[in-house]
Amino acid sequence: MRRLLTLLAVLAIALLARGVLAETILTPQGPAEVFSRGGQFDLAEVLRLTGAEVQFAAAAGSYSAVLGQREVQFTPGGTLAVVDGRLTALPTPVRLVDGRPLGTAATAEALLSALGWTLRQGARGWEVAALGGGERLQVSVVRDAGGTLIVVRGTAQEPRVILTPGQVGLLFAAPVALAEPIRPDGELTGGELNGPLLTLRLKDGVAVSSSYALPDPPRYVVRLGGEAQAAVVPLAPARRAGPLVVLDPGHGGEDQGAKGPASELEKSITLAVARATAARLQAAGVTARLTREGDDGVSLGNRTALANQLQADAFVSIHANAYRGKAVRGAETYYMSVDASDADAAAAAAAENVDAAPDTVQLILWDMAHVANLNASARLARSIQERFNELQGIKDRGIRQAPFVVLTGATMPAALVEIGFLSNPADARRLTSATGQEELAGVLAEAVLAFLRSREPAAEAGR
Amino acid sequence: MSGPSRVATAVLATVVIACGKSPRPSGGAAQVATPEAVVMSTVTLFFPGDDGLLEREPREIADLPESGPARIRVILAELLAGSQNGRAPVLPWTATIHAAFVDRTGNAYVDLSAPPAGTVEGTATETALVYAIVQSVVANCQGVERVQLLFDGTEVTSLGHLDLSRPLVPRPELVAP
Repeated sequence: MRRLLTLLAVLAIALLARGVLAETILTPQGPAEVFSRGGQFDLAEVLRLTGAEVQFAAAAGSYSAVLGQREVQFTPGGTLAVVDGRLTALPTPVRLVDGRPLGTAATAEALLSALGWTLRQGARGWEVAALGGGERLQVSVVRDAGGTLIVVRGTAQEPRVILTPGQVGLLFAAPVALAEPIRPDGELTGGELNGPLLTLRLKDGVAVSSSYALPDPPRYVVRLGGEAQAAVVPLAPARRAGPLVVLDPGHGGEDQGAKGPASELEKSITLAVARATAARLQAAGVTARLTREGDDGVSLGNRTALANQLQADAFVSIHANAYRGKAVRGAETYYMSVDASDADAAAAAAAENVDAAPDTVQLILWDMAHVANLNASARLARSIQERFNELQGIKDRGIRQAPFVVLTGATMPAALVEIGFLSNPADARRLTSATGQEELAGVLAEAVLAFLRSREPAAEAGR
Repeated sequence: MSGPSRVATAVLATVVIACGKSPRPSGGAAQVATPEAVVMSTVTLFFPGDDGLLEREPREIADLPESGPARIRVILAELLAGSQNGRAPVLPWTATIHAAFVDRTGNAYVDLSAPPAGTVEGTATETALVYAIVQSVVANCQGVERVQLLFDGTEVTSLGHLDLSRPLVPRPELVAP
């Protein structure tokens, strides 16, 4: 009996410590239960309260919430979100706990506001509500000396304008309603409201020359005139014409990394080499992005998240090494380490979870996708290491595998290269000199280009 | 299961086991101290070598517990006490062993005092120190397959490079032939 009571007490303490709760959130449709733990909400469940379609996209390693024409993506483990194609920072990281993306109320609010909703705590508890509710739009046509204007009254929002042949779309950040149906009038032949998107249809040959917001009273004006525009302004970012590589200069900000004999900092060396490498890649027609442009502190998760969200063709993290023994020198390249047990577990979990929630299955598929990238990552690492070995005076420390944080989250071929030891005098001379850094960048760019050239044609066709 | 959940479960399991095996008072019977022979055991510890790989070092230990957290603590204490063959210390800071525990799935959790900022420089240093602990614990504690390092009682994502948010398996390629 005493043991049973002890067990029950321990279980109770453990459950309290884990803070497992179902939080009630008021919605326009009534109260809803949302998973919550330790003051953090299941972000997918919160976003679904708006009517958004929320899915985990295995290819990008991100959650995607779509409501009308608005889309927000966020990645577990990071503090970045993509709102309608633009990268934005979240207040706190999204954590993946038991297959659920958990985030603070502030993070939930940031994601909701991207969809035109808000999360607030009032006297009745937590509440999810549409932003700008009550805004009722009136659409009318006005003619002046300069031509014809379509005036949308009843809102102070500045919508995103989407031009397609024969019509103009106004995408509002917050849901809006039409005070009355849109009446055809001259160049305006009709229109309708679909969620936050107001579509205005135009007479053949009529185009939009400009659009702008005006105050007192708040209104949005679309001025018509000129030739019809053939070009379509797409909602989604244009597909890339060529390959994209994300280079990650290790460390940054308060995290200085290793130090050289004269206190040279690893974070400065990696940034210099990354910049020079990027310049060489750009010159060769490859788009190169850095995870940090200056001396910024970027979390390890966000570095990989950027590459995932850009769906980069390759990710290379650049570091300078250090060791207590000053004789240790040379370059070494790492690629992702996946324990055999991880792959087996993922496969077994996939087989056992045929009835699991879509998110769970997608997460498992994502894990398996990491495993599938192993071969390409190994080829990238080999390409890098082989070219570093050709450098005069460099010691070959080989290709290795290790569970580095920046590699385990990548959904594309990824490698981490240690370009030399700052603790070794000879290596440090190369690492800290401008000519040495250019030399290292040249080798690295050449290695990345060789890897991109070696990819199978199917990989290109699939882009 | 997520990292924190694993830790919580491991702690729970350890507490339950401890509760179940709590020794009862002997009922007042006098204990007679009897001289017992010291039993020596030979273990293999792993220390960072000159070239960055781990070097094996045999060590004789008296009255080594047969299994469980107590054995892990002794192995760790011997490891952190340093090499007897002049090799570099495993940790570049003076660390305290806060706790060690094992779950039922072969994961060992080792809780150490956290390193001061900027102490661990370079992947070579970090890899050597982390895997010196992983290799030493797994090689000498039957049933332990993976080791997760905790610092000051909490999980850490990394000391800068390696993913420490989950238990790590030994990597034989990091050990000198």
